[in-house]
Amino acid sequence: QVQERTITISNGVAETHPVGNGVQAMQACFDERTGGTWTLNAFWSAALGNDLDATQALRSGTQEMVVTSTSPLVGIEPALGVFDLPFLFADDQEADAILDGEFGAMISEKMEAHGLINLAYWENGFRNLTNSVRPVTKLEDLEGMRVRVMQNDIFLDTFSNLGTNAMPMAFGEVFTALETGTIDAQENPYVTIDTSQFSEVQEYLTETRHAYTPFMVLFSKAIFDTYSPEEQQILRDCAMEGQAVQRQASRELSQQSLERVQEAGMKFNQLEPTEMERIREAVATVYETHADTIGRDVVEAMQAALDELRSGG
Amino acid sequence: MTDWAVAAITRLLEWILIGLLAGMAAMVLLNVVLRYGFNSGLTFSEEMSRYFFVWLTFIGAVLTFGEHGHIGVETLVRRFGRSGRLICMAISNAIILICSGVMFWGTWIQHDINASMTAAVVGLSMIWVFGVGYFTALGIGVIATIRLFRILTGRTTEAEVAHFAGEWGDGVVQNRGGE
Amino acid sequence: MTIIVFLVTIFVTMAIGVPVAFALMFCGVVLMQWLGIFNSSILSQQMIQGANTFTLLAIPFFLLAGELMNAGGLSKRIVDFAIACVGHIRGGLGLVAIIAAVIMASLSGSAAADSAALASILIPMMREAGYHVPRAAGLMAAGGIIAPVIPPSIAFIIFGVAANVSITGLFLGGVVPGILMALTLVVIWIIVARKEKVAVLPRVPMSGRLRATGRATWALVMPVIVLGGIRLGIFTPTEAAVVAATYALLVGLFIYRELKIRDLYAVFLNAAKVTSVVLFLVAAALVTSWLITRANIPGEISQFLAPVIDRPRLLMLLIVLLVLLVGTALDLAPTILILTPVLMPLIIQAGIDPVYFGVIFVMANCIGLLTPPVGVVLNVVSGVARVPFGQVVVGVTPFLLGQIALLFLLVLVPQIVTVPLEWLR
Ligand code: NA
Ligand code: NA
Repeated sequence: QVQERTITISNGVAETHPVGNGVQAMQACFDERTGGTWTLNAFWSAALGNDLDATQALRSGTQEMVVTSTSPLVGIEPALGVFDLPFLFADDQEADAILDGEFGAMISEKMEAHGLINLAYWENGFRNLTNSVRPVTKLEDLEGMRVRVMQNDIFLDTFSNLGTNAMPMAFGEVFTALETGTIDAQENPYVTIDTSQFSEVQEYLTETRHAYTPFMVLFSKAIFDTYSPEEQQILRDCAMEGQAVQRQASRELSQQSLERVQEAGMKFNQLEPTEMERIREAVATVYETHADTIGRDVVEAMQAALDELRSGG
Repeated sequence: MTDWAVAAITRLLEWILIGLLAGMAAMVLLNVVLRYGFNSGLTFSEEMSRYFFVWLTFIGAVLTFGEHGHIGVETLVRRFGRSGRLICMAISNAIILICSGVMFWGTWIQHDINASMTAAVVGLSMIWVFGVGYFTALGIGVIATIRLFRILTGRTTEAEVAHFAGEWGDGVVQNRGGE
Repeated sequence: MTIIVFLVTIFVTMAIGVPVAFALMFCGVVLMQWLGIFNSSILSQQMIQGANTFTLLAIPFFLLAGELMNAGGLSKRIVDFAIACVGHIRGGLGLVAIIAAVIMASLSGSAAADSAALASILIPMMREAGYHVPRAAGLMAAGGIIAPVIPPSIAFIIFGVAANVSITGLFLGGVVPGILMALTLVVIWIIVARKEKVAVLPRVPMSGRLRATGRATWALVMPVIVLGGIRLGIFTPTEAAVVAATYALLVGLFIYRELKIRDLYAVFLNAAKVTSVVLFLVAAALVTSWLITRANIPGEISQFLAPVIDRPRLLMLLIVLLVLLVGTALDLAPTILILTPVLMPLIIQAGIDPVYFGVIFVMANCIGLLTPPVGVVLNVVSGVARVPFGQVVVGVTPFLLGQIALLFLLVLVPQIVTVPLEWLR
């Protein structure tokens, strides 16, 4: 049975972000499957509050849906910290295989205990480092750099291990702090670097790909349970249709963003494989330090899944 | 409750507010000094100073409500005589009682959801932050109830009615912020 | 329809004397019922999440800095300095007030605090010198509202957070309009004070001027430290507020020695109480703001204003008129918080620079502090100067009209704001 529904969905990003493409695709899918009786009422740029606050609203059943990074949600489900571990995925294919496979399903299941249905994994993407001090070509270049990171223990620890002075700062203050030199560096996916106009205040961009942040398309379990099985299936299917469009848009835009910030004057560099290896080694202990908070079983399951994937294919 | 108890509670709350404000300032200042002087920092200061701020706001809201300190518009009420003012005062306190009731109830039904979430860096259970809603709702609710009771039983003093209408006597300026 | 429910609820509850914060909370309850999404946790969660924002921390710190400046003798020395410079000119005490207002504005973010400091120091002197006291009180009030336009500014912080607009950009954008507000006051003061038969203070000899400047140096250096520190990247705007408070504390305690350790109880407590009053109001406004956003009221309004969306100047003019109208009955913080989520989508759609809009919007809101029936600054000045409210209203009128004229000028010629802003950026 399909009823007329208005589904409120919120995001921390602007409508021009690839999430916008995903939401559009979802709406198109709803139109087709429900004969136009479902409307996505979308709110962008944290107009309804930040993603963590919105997620809490989902848990209490006062909002239907949110598209959020996993990182802010570790306070709700510690296992999500696994995605903050440095250098976890080598490339897009690995990320897709793990997230859409058994491991991803296991994490989604954990979310249900918190009153959240994860309809699909979309992506925020690989994170890279920008700074205004020097091009980063080796581990030592990072020494003493003041890097803004998210309020997140694993990121703080990773960047401390790299020799930087890692400091958590509200995103709203980052641009000014970079502009005036209060901080030297920040790390985000290319799309965010581009849309936040960090190219105006940062000179160097280094492809570190030190973390891959997934987006989760979360639905309030309290509200989900009031939907008919048919409606629940429509939600899941359309979130997956959105996934294909969103990931493709994200990857295309990511390349465009990289080109745009270079045109805007940022000096871009990649790291030599040997240097990359040294950097990985410097942060290797982070896995062990945070295994207990994340859950040893979760970290091991991830390792096993990755080993299988890498040997198999 | 005796006047002595009210004074003691007020004094305690005042010290808590001062401690929270000073603590916030100290954390943020220390972070500046550490970053600029020693290229290091406090990872907890961004988070903890926000929580201090929440406690300061919501504990202070009770104290200032007790002192008729919240910003209001008394233009119309001031034109009324005593009975008109008393009626407005009764309705006003009833509305405030509803608000604190909703706030208490909301904190209650959200209790487990907040309790099962921890702060990203300091690891504090978020019920310690959001639970301040209990204090605010109860504190303001109790004061509003007492005021309502006094109105209905005819015990309201002239001074209380004057304060409600924003009249503080000659030359007395209520320090009410806003801008 | 939702907007009518909202407006009726808020005005009726405020009219019967419910404090604005609780009127907003009640409005939230009514709106949830009306929208059919009643859930008490929306109220409690939104309020506490609203206060849980790092950039808002600048508010208590700037309030603390202001309290410390008044208690530590910094404010008084700024006034002494201004008197030594222009006290001997006819109508000079009025000019003193304007100069002092500008200097204080560059240190404080609060109109109420500034006009209280100005009025308490200057009005007794002006009364003695034979000035028309209600007019003097009107000038103090009009001088006080420069504070939120010249950085730092609590109003810009609240708007910047609500609208997601760069606070630094807003701070820079406020400099020129703030100075223009002061110049407007100078012109009008010269016109209205021509007929004053007042005693003129003796000309202060050069040595005396240098002494006054020397005594005020520590106070006058404060804006340099605050703005310089931000520009040099030593601290962020939020942190700058703490640095300002610390500086005022140290100067008051150890250099001017007018601040005693035992005074700190009252200073901190006062700043804390005002913080909680302001932030509780901000938090309550965020509940209604959330519901207004969720109910798509901005959409309703934009349908109403849609015909002028491609004519930005006319749109700005209509918005300014709306703010001035609302500002007669509501004060600065609530107006900003209620109108920002409604207006911002229109501004973006119309392609208006959000920083320019923020500056004009905050200026219009500041003028609301001077308009009866509800005007916090009028209340403060009337209390401090012991002049009846009605007389302050009469006294402020010429200055109020001047500020409104300036506001319309800035709407008609936006370049006055945007060109220097580009240059400062
Ligand atoms: Na100011
Ligand atoms: Na007004």
